[in-house]
Amino acid sequence: MQKRIDLIDLASTPECQRDYVGHLNKLCDTLGVEHATYFAANPISGKMHGFTTYPDDWKSHYVANRLQEYDPTLNSASRSVAPVDWQRLMRDPNYDRVFKDAHDFKLPERGVTVPIRGMFGEIGLLCACSSVPQAEWIKLKRDILGSLLNNAVHLHDAVMNSDPLLKTLRQPKLSSREIEILQWVAAGKSQQDIGDILMISSRTVEVHVRSTREKLCTISTAQAVGRAVSLGLIYPG
Amino acid sequence: MILVIDALNRDRFQSVIDDMFQLRARVFQDRMGWDVTVEDGREFDIFDNLDPVYLVALDDSYNVIGCNRMLQTTGPHMLTDVFQDILMGEPPLRSATVWENTRFCIDTDRLKQPGSTRSVSATACELMAGIAEYAYESGISDVISVVDPAMDRILKRCDNAPHGYLGQTVQMGKTKALAALSDITEERIARIRNFAGITGNIFADEDEVADALAARSTDDTMSPDLRDYCDEQIAAATTEHEKRAAVALRAALAQTIRSSSDIRATPQ
Repeated sequence: MQKRIDLIDLASTPECQRDYVGHLNKLCDTLGVEHATYFAANPISGKMHGFTTYPDDWKSHYVANRLQEYDPTLNSASRSVAPVDWQRLMRDPNYDRVFKDAHDFKLPERGVTVPIRGMFGEIGLLCACSSVPQAEWIKLKRDILGSLLNNAVHLHDAVMNSDPLLKTLRQPKLSSREIEILQWVAAGKSQQDIGDILMISSRTVEVHVRSTREKLCTISTAQAVGRAVSLGLIYPG
Repeated sequence: MILVIDALNRDRFQSVIDDMFQLRARVFQDRMGWDVTVEDGREFDIFDNLDPVYLVALDDSYNVIGCNRMLQTTGPHMLTDVFQDILMGEPPLRSATVWENTRFCIDTDRLKQPGSTRSVSATACELMAGIAEYAYESGISDVISVVDPAMDRILKRCDNAPHGYLGQTVQMGKTKALAALSDITEERIARIRNFAGITGNIFADEDEVADALAARSTDDTMSPDLRDYCDEQIAAATTEHEKRAAVALRAALAQTIRSSSDIRATPQ
């Protein structure tokens, strides 16, 4: 079973007060990993966004040696569809270049990169790493993967929407099915009730609700209802 | 067995990818009459340029007997584009834990040939189990599969029924196409495995397949004497290390022979 770990809400915090590194620190604590990094490039302005919980000495070393140009946890992993366990990158010609140095800085070698592809070709990467033994890592990774995926897309949306032009381009587009279901949620119906009303399975209702939450950049369904009402997509329940 | 190929290991399996594109041309253009682009007997489209992940079913001789392509729904995928008709112009759903499956197909012609040791349905089930297991391991909760009605019936028959559909069924070539939703859970994996009698690991070891493919291409180029010598060396290997070295020698020799015959073929 995957752990149900709550997402930390970023979208409700005003842009100027956002503390992305603090957010990643909290994420590490909840998921039980040592360090986390988020990295993305704005597809329009080309601006790079990078946040990490790594110690300052590693950050300076990394930047001074331009390791971001070689780092397979960013470069190779960004071309994967599935989350990439760093073990898979050992074959990469640049693996040693980065991991040998990381080893000298006593940083964990086990980790995973979760790539999120956006509609405009942008890719957001959320990396998490840990020093636990291999067997434990496999188990930990399995437990937190679903949560990492949800956190990755949430973080990605928050960062991309901080650009006014991208925010306009990324206006949520809900399907009529998603709006219909959210209207029933606002009216207080349960997932099962909605499935019965619309003659679809409750799992299908759930998939639509999850998609709606993600499109509206919200964590809870209640928040999604609130945002949809404020956008005039549905009537208040 | 199921081989997973994506942008990270694609360069090792060019011949498998090529066979897969040929299979897709035979299935989607010739058999189903879909409006797909075929060049030089190979079907591929813009989504193949977006670094998708392919699950390829191989038989015991490493021939491609089935395939499937997967993309994230947060980025460009077929329902946002060429399969828009299915969604009747509605925006597609978007979720970090939902992937899209397209181009699912099985090489029925090869499997129905006399002497084939595998059945079409066993191969379809293995590929379906592979999709569910790979997605499950990747933290995925549901998949959308764009399929034709025949495939939809196979899903249901194999105890792998979708939990819902998106949009409508549309006419596509000689068949129709629809988008089915399936949850990715341990229960579903167990149901498919149980139906097909699958036990144990179904995923191919990347190195093993790469070695076997290299060995196979040697068979076509080497003289029988040299091939026998190489095979003896491999058979006589007593440790894993020796075996690897012998396999590598055979591959290196084949490479040398191939490149020297290329030189000979060049007009002086």
